[in-house]
Amino acid sequence: MTSTEPMSLVLSRVSASYTDEIKNAAVLKDISFSVPTGSFVSIIAPSGAGKSTLMRVILDLMPHTSGDIVRNFSRPAMVFQSYALFPWLSTLDNVAFGLRMSNMNRKDRDTLAREKLKEVGLEHLETHYPATLSGGQRQRVGLARALAISPDLLILDEPFSSLDTITAEALKADLLKIWRTYGMTILMVNHLIPDAVELSDEIIIMNKNPGRIEKICTIDLLRPRDVRSEPFFKHVDRVTEAIRVLS
Amino acid sequence: MSGIIGAVLLLTAFGYLGGVTWVNLGTAILLTTYRLAFAYGIALVLGSTIALLVGWSPLAELLFPVFDVLQNIPSFALIPLFIYFFGFTSEMIILFAVSSIIWPILFAVLTAIKSAHTDLNDAATIFGARGLRRIHYYLAPLSFPAILTGSIVGIAIGWEAVIGAEIITNIAGFGNYIREASSLGISQAMIAGTFAILVIVFVLNRLVWAPLLAESSRRYAE
Repeated sequence: MTSTEPMSLVLSRVSASYTDEIKNAAVLKDISFSVPTGSFVSIIAPSGAGKSTLMRVILDLMPHTSGDIVRNFSRPAMVFQSYALFPWLSTLDNVAFGLRMSNMNRKDRDTLAREKLKEVGLEHLETHYPATLSGGQRQRVGLARALAISPDLLILDEPFSSLDTITAEALKADLLKIWRTYGMTILMVNHLIPDAVELSDEIIIMNKNPGRIEKICTIDLLRPRDVRSEPFFKHVDRVTEAIRVLS
Repeated sequence: MSGIIGAVLLLTAFGYLGGVTWVNLGTAILLTTYRLAFAYGIALVLGSTIALLVGWSPLAELLFPVFDVLQNIPSFALIPLFIYFFGFTSEMIILFAVSSIIWPILFAVLTAIKSAHTDLNDAATIFGARGLRRIHYYLAPLSFPAILTGSIVGIAIGWEAVIGAEIITNIAGFGNYIREASSLGISQAMIAGTFAILVIVFVLNRLVWAPLLAESSRRYAE
């Protein structure tokens, strides 16, 4: 990363804490990192390191107690680990939700939502409700919902963790294709090192109690990445070693 | 249901219900049902609107305990107040019933909003359900199962409130009908009345609540 690169997101010494009686504790402490526009950045952290809190702070869904955040994005979208689909809406209406909120007319938003469903391979399920979909299908609907609003920052919160290996691999391939097509900035929380190395330009390694950044690894492998190549395994080893030192 | 109908037919066949004045009973039940329906309509609109507005606003945490205290006041203790303000009228019974039916609906909706998954709340915010639009596009549909269960409990309480108020105030209706039948010792009228109410409750359940509950569980299943 060079200093002249445009940045989608810059965090400088950001801290956050819960203020209620039950969880009165610092969750994030002095978090500083930048996400260049159009890059793919992953965050790897142990459970309880405040990854989800960090995502919420970035999206201004909860306040931070100190530090500065520069948000150079206007249409953020998020794909949730828990899918977070609206159960009362059909697949098509879930995908079209953000478009509806931006006052797009029914015909246009349905057309666009159908396109996005097709991109994630679910055009045949548009009338289905989330409860009738598998985990992988729900995650794809979540991805289509995010893509529908043409986000300039896409946040993915452990998108593969609830999926079986085959579904996760397929979704990963789709995600890479979508990233290349749209050129958006992606920030992904993940806990699988090979996935992070395969997808990311940078990997941010966090530790817990309180959540803080321990190391930022640049992945300078050429794309498309050969996940069986020696340089790939070297990067995986490097990141694994950085994480092992923490524990 | 077939058991109830069978029992009524048997009792009628043996002439046990011969002394029942069916027109009077029908009129009384219609009056009570009309009051209940009216009260439920008001309670539904008021209860869900208040709950949605409170759940949407940052005051939810503050107002929840206030509502909790208010709903704990025994409703029948308030009947003199209702009589004082509205007299011995049908409107008084309806408004009294509203004061009972509203709480289960209000609390069910507030609880549903309060216990919604953080991710779902965040998704609604990220994808644009902000400001007052949040109520229409997110909180109201989110609360549908709660409105349904709150309504079922509310209607059950409403029957008690309307019939109880009719008994206490001696205003025409099913409560007044069974009070008079009881004081005159006409047990057949009371039994016929009870059967009639059971039929109404059963029909209401089969035609309204059961299909809505089925739709709710179909759409809202995890």
